[in-house]
Amino acid sequence: MTDTPLDRLEVHLGRLLFGGVVLSAACLAVGLSIWLAGGHAPLANGILATGLVMLMATPILRVVVSLVEYARMRDWFFVATTLIVFGVLIVTVTLALLKRI
Amino acid sequence: MSLAIIAAVVAAGAVAGCLGALLGIGGAVFLVPFLDVGLGLGFKVARAVSLLTVIATSSVVSSGTAGRHLINLRLGMLLEVGSTAGGLLAVYTVARMADSTLSALFALVTTAIAVLMVTRLEKRNVLETGADIGQFGGRFYEDESKREVAYRVKRLPVGMFASLLAGLVSGTLGIGGGILKVPILNAWCGVPLRAAAATSALMIGVTAVSSAPLYYARGEINPPIAAAAVLGVLAGSRAGFWLGGRARAKWLKLLMAFVLLVVSLVYFRRALG
Repeated sequence: MTDTPLDRLEVHLGRLLFGGVVLSAACLAVGLSIWLAGGHAPLANGILATGLVMLMATPILRVVVSLVEYARMRDWFFVATTLIVFGVLIVTVTLALLKRI
Repeated sequence: MSLAIIAAVVAAGAVAGCLGALLGIGGAVFLVPFLDVGLGLGFKVARAVSLLTVIATSSVVSSGTAGRHLINLRLGMLLEVGSTAGGLLAVYTVARMADSTLSALFALVTTAIAVLMVTRLEKRNVLETGADIGQFGGRFYEDESKREVAYRVKRLPVGMFASLLAGLVSGTLGIGGGILKVPILNAWCGVPLRAAAATSALMIGVTAVSSAPLYYARGEINPPIAAAAVLGVLAGSRAGFWLGGRARAKWLKLLMAFVLLVVSLVYFRRALG
């Protein structure tokens, strides 16, 4: 099977998703352990929050990397498509941050 | 909250993650009733926590499938326009509807899809390797026939509509929504089951991210419960992915139809209850 730029992107994104999920799982495991041990509560909550935010940020990062790669391939139809998806995610994150403040 | 509850959530997450990876659905469909009814955390918390496990499942399953040419990145991104829009829209519209109404709707939808799965059991959708696959088609190595196969995507608007619906259901009920997309992509859009499942697994992560941060900001996510559920699901989905590579597509479809019927019964009960 020929190795196209799209195939390489698939492998690339796979590694990105794996890295994101491993990092967030590590944070969640450490945070949960501290929380269960009844240790320093703000520390446990902070590490748990970091893990959860990292988990949610990983698919967003996947969309950003895809956007860059489609631009490099000069595949403008998919640059536009990816931009729309990214736009929806930006709306969600902005609304979530506004609610937090 | 105690160690026992955390351990129960980890175990439930592991079972849900394993089934989810096997079926190409989020697995959250089992986790929501467990957290909601089993642990009495309430539907809102169950939905929000479950969405986080959907993200984890998506990332871990996709990283496992990447490189096997099963994930259709272009088709996925195009359909994500519909699914993310649906996810965001759900938070401000359908997610506010009465619990009984949502349960009844969901039960009807899953029953319809279960019937569709059984009646269209042998939909392989594969073409000869040299065939014209169009802009959205794909090629992959099919384990069953031990050769490279190709497919062409048909009825794209149907797939788009299914993705929008899946996004709405995902944001409303806290499940992945693959349960809706995969059968439709397979039965009507010409996508082979494995490619549909792999593409859907990638899509459900970004779809969940279109609604999960809003529930997080509302304080509907309990961090220790979420951490326990995510860690359980991660372990379970790795196991499911390992098993999934060894199951035949036909059995996968039959099992999926059965699971859909069980899920719809649960939701009918909830609608009446």
